[in-house]
Amino acid sequence: MKNRIRVLRAEKDMTQEQLAERIGVTRNTIISMEKGKYCPSIKLGFRIANVFGVGIDDVFTYEEEIDGPSQDDE
Amino acid sequence: MKRFTCLLCTFLVAVLVAAMIGWSIAAGNFLVPVVAIPLGVIVVLACRRNVEEVIADERERKIYSQAALRTLEVAVIASVIAAVIFLSFTVSDTLTPKITGSVYSSGNGTNSMVINLYRAGSPETPENLIRTITIRDIHAMNEDEARVYCQFRNEAFLENEQKGLVGMTIGGILAVILVTYGAFYLYYNKKY
Repeated sequence: MKNRIRVLRAEKDMTQEQLAERIGVTRNTIISMEKGKYCPSIKLGFRIANVFGVGIDDVFTYEEEIDGPSQDDE
Repeated sequence: MKRFTCLLCTFLVAVLVAAMIGWSIAAGNFLVPVVAIPLGVIVVLACRRNVEEVIADERERKIYSQAALRTLEVAVIASVIAAVIFLSFTVSDTLTPKITGSVYSSGNGTNSMVINLYRAGSPETPENLIRTITIRDIHAMNEDEARVYCQFRNEAFLENEQKGLVGMTIGGILAVILVTYGAFYLYYNKKY
């Protein structure tokens, strides 16, 4: 799963701390999501999209992995 | 309240409650844990409620649950192996002879002692008696007497030693579980 959180955050001139506060998570979670290490739940995904005022598919892009399931599925 | 302050407060409460429970068991006062445990829980909950930052979000919960699951898996496998090993000792336990001892005071101020050795796994009756050793003066015993006396003392305090061993084992297991959990937590924290 890829995301444009970092780009959208930069567009809105928002810090990681501010975004974390808006969506009710820790800053570490934002860092992890931006690095693509953590895949958020649908609920959190919608909250992020709402903060940026865009649709969820403008923030997240699903990419099928060729070699087996993704690490998030473990 | 900051998250760190809350963690510190929780740690202090846990240590205090554990100390109070330990003391109450030693002193035979069982009312203390009944009061201390709920009070500790209330204090910790109050601390958590007053934290302004987000304590745990879905990522944190995922890390906690993954670490807990892996720790449980490791603990179950390790427990099964340990249980099989330790249960095998109970087979040899019944093969150990039973030792009893009685102290008698004589008129000249010396204390003598009679130590009986019974057949393993049998009741303490004269038919099952293997041998009897009499120590004429327990303050002036010879080498053989001392060896038997030591063996008796060892068995006499076996129950206390076993209780202590159980306590140490539980403490050790808890420490291992916490370390394993910590290791898995760090691993998943890095992964996600």
